[in-house]
Amino acid sequence: MPDWLPEFITLQLIVSVGVILVIIHLIAVGALYLVLLERKLSAWMQDRCGPNRVGPLGLLQPIADAIKLIVKEDFIPTRADRVLFILAPAFALIPALISFAIIPWAGTLQIGSETVEITVANVNIGVVYLVAITSLGVYGLALAGWSSNNKYSFFGGLRASAQMVSYEIPMGLAILTLILTAGTVRPDEMIEQQLQGQWFLIHQPIAALLFYICMLAETNRLPFDLAEAETELVGGFHTEYSSMKWVLFFLAEYGHMIVGSAFFTVLFLGGWSINPLWGLDLPMAGGIGMILLQFGIVMTKVFAMICLTMALRWTLPRFRYDQLMRLAWEGMIPTALLVLLVTSFVVFMGWLPMMWLASLITVFVIWLVRPLLPQQANPNRRLPLLGSRFSPKTHEALLSSPVEPRGVDD
Amino acid sequence: MSMLMLAVDLDAYIPIGLLVVMAIVFAAANLLMSHVMGPRREGPIKGSTYESGMDPIGSARKRFNVRFYILAMTFLVFDVEIIFLYPWAVTFAKLAPQSDEAALFLGRIMFFIATSIIAYVYAWRKGVFRWD
Repeated sequence: MPDWLPEFITLQLIVSVGVILVIIHLIAVGALYLVLLERKLSAWMQDRCGPNRVGPLGLLQPIADAIKLIVKEDFIPTRADRVLFILAPAFALIPALISFAIIPWAGTLQIGSETVEITVANVNIGVVYLVAITSLGVYGLALAGWSSNNKYSFFGGLRASAQMVSYEIPMGLAILTLILTAGTVRPDEMIEQQLQGQWFLIHQPIAALLFYICMLAETNRLPFDLAEAETELVGGFHTEYSSMKWVLFFLAEYGHMIVGSAFFTVLFLGGWSINPLWGLDLPMAGGIGMILLQFGIVMTKVFAMICLTMALRWTLPRFRYDQLMRLAWEGMIPTALLVLLVTSFVVFMGWLPMMWLASLITVFVIWLVRPLLPQQANPNRRLPLLGSRFSPKTHEALLSSPVEPRGVDD
Repeated sequence: MSMLMLAVDLDAYIPIGLLVVMAIVFAAANLLMSHVMGPRREGPIKGSTYESGMDPIGSARKRFNVRFYILAMTFLVFDVEIIFLYPWAVTFAKLAPQSDEAALFLGRIMFFIATSIIAYVYAWRKGVFRWD
């Protein structure tokens, strides 16, 4: 670097700023086009055409949507809390935009005598930063729900905060399991281990599944979109929002989706690793061509994860609220604790290369033990109802039914 | 030495600071843009909250189910526990396998996790996680 520059401006800082600019634009523009992709995918899954009027194949649709949203009226209800109502979308968006800081998008680049990392900041707390920042997103949703002074919004915000808080615990435990496996919190060291060995998806399949489910819940995607369930709550926490304020919520959701997929890629799919099974793989460092190749591989994996999330949207129906809470507290937290205990035992014995076998045994044990645990009465049981076509309230049904017949309103 | 380490660490946070500033500017600019560009017409009916066409009855800031509150407390117990486990995980993974020190580390943290499992079982038996 030239001498006349201040000391804190290093080559790494310039590269970091470049990465910031690239990724912020990727999230902002990418979100617009992911909406189009989602509408197209939904259309194909339902045997429709999807948006095809604006431009060839509907490719200009996002731009038309953006112009429409910018010139719409920015409406604030009279009874809303004006300050919090305006601040809530910003609170939702900012965590989504700053959370990608620690993700390595490619390996290290050699420029002259200096080595720079293609990431915003390689801080020593690593993945803990990402966990901390993404959980701040709940403030935006809760504040939006409360400040609108609308019952739908209020229930949406309440549901969203309870849901995000519940799914934070299994997510934390799954990441903890991974830290135990890797022995580090730095994402670049995690990727280096996966380049030299197997992907962590092979070592920790249960943790990967738990993490992915929690990611869906944290982004409020189907089947976890109870906070904005159209059929129950109109729009949930963003019922009263219009124009760019609504766009900020939307950007936050898609930003979380992109960053979550990238995080999954780094943790479980080995970043730019192309060989999941043994050490023969791309290097950590390289020239500009290698960096672009690595970036392309990471982006391909992120894109595949996003497509999986969108396909899940039309595959699984929405949960009911008690099922959602049961899944988090009675299903995922015990499983995550079990995986954590198994992993710490394996680490203690020094059997980490055989972790995949331990995971398989854990799955088998869960499958064996599950029927022996105390079972709750099936919440999906049919209640006999007077006048129902499917389970009418007959005398025989009343006598044989183990459940207390209940009225409609309890 | 420790001062030097601190200085090196803080340098790594400069880009994060820049990123935070950019995110705030981005959000503020978007909020301001629609405020400036959009039309603005107000009226008593239009200003009321949308409740599917009904006139809103009362405020939305009412009392809500106490289960959300209990859930938040249970969450705090587990979240704080997990925060304590992160530094343990990093240190434990670096110890020599099957050494006495590692056994001590494992035993202590098992006791710590066991205490929270007791709290978890208690909450389960009390029906904190039952929402139906």
